[in-house]
Amino acid sequence: IETARIFDFKEFPKSDRVTYMYYTGRLEVFNENFPAADLKLSYALKHCNPLSEANIRMILKYLIPVKLSIGILPKDWLLEKYNLPEYGNIVQALRRGDLRLLRHALQDYEDRFLRSGVYLVLEKLELQVYQRLMKKIYMIQKQKDPSKAHQVKLDVIVKALKWLEMDMDLDEVECIMAILIYKNLMKGYFAHKSKVVVLSKTDPFPKLNGKPVN
Amino acid sequence: DEEEEGKEVNQQWEDDWDDDDVSDDFSLQLRKELESNAENEKK
Repeated sequence: IETARIFDFKEFPKSDRVTYMYYTGRLEVFNENFPAADLKLSYALKHCNPLSEANIRMILKYLIPVKLSIGILPKDWLLEKYNLPEYGNIVQALRRGDLRLLRHALQDYEDRFLRSGVYLVLEKLELQVYQRLMKKIYMIQKQKDPSKAHQVKLDVIVKALKWLEMDMDLDEVECIMAILIYKNLMKGYFAHKSKVVVLSKTDPFPKLNGKPVN
Repeated sequence: DEEEEGKEVNQQWEDDWDDDDVSDDFSLQLRKELESNAENEKK
């Protein structure tokens, strides 16, 4: 892999360049270097034979989890056209903030995801789904009473999670909230005594904008 | 050529999906759930 760098990449035949980018892109996925994986796999997708659906599908199997992990969703038609139904519910779970759906989607296609090696990448989407759920709770509170919307009681979160078939106590929820804040998926602080998450009034849920979760 | 490829990329991916919309079925059910709990609390 290293020696290839002393040649001019452009001198190689296109098909070799695509193959190279596909395999090194896959390596970047396993190294969890998502921006690099995105560049390489996107290159492979852009330059591969547009008529070879099997090859496009192979690339997308890796590029889709990479895009998801940097906050970018595939359009529905892409999943349909290249027969990738395993990603349908994962995308839906991210849109909704539906932790239950994410869990089921991972279970349903567990074998496939484990075999291709993207299971761990997809498992980490959970934090983004938590972020989305928190945003939904915030937006719902905002419609009811805008002045208090930025205060979210831990009780309320526990109840939402219970509805999603996740039994968590206050301490566990507090821990998840701390992770969201630490990873900059949520801006705010805790009022530990009153068991309330106080969200920042400006941009409480920063978008990833093509960057991975830190 | 470059521009055309850029367009194609935009048709494949969606990066501005994280909207403020809470009128979908999931959000409506979530709201119902949270509101019913709030009522229980008052009792």
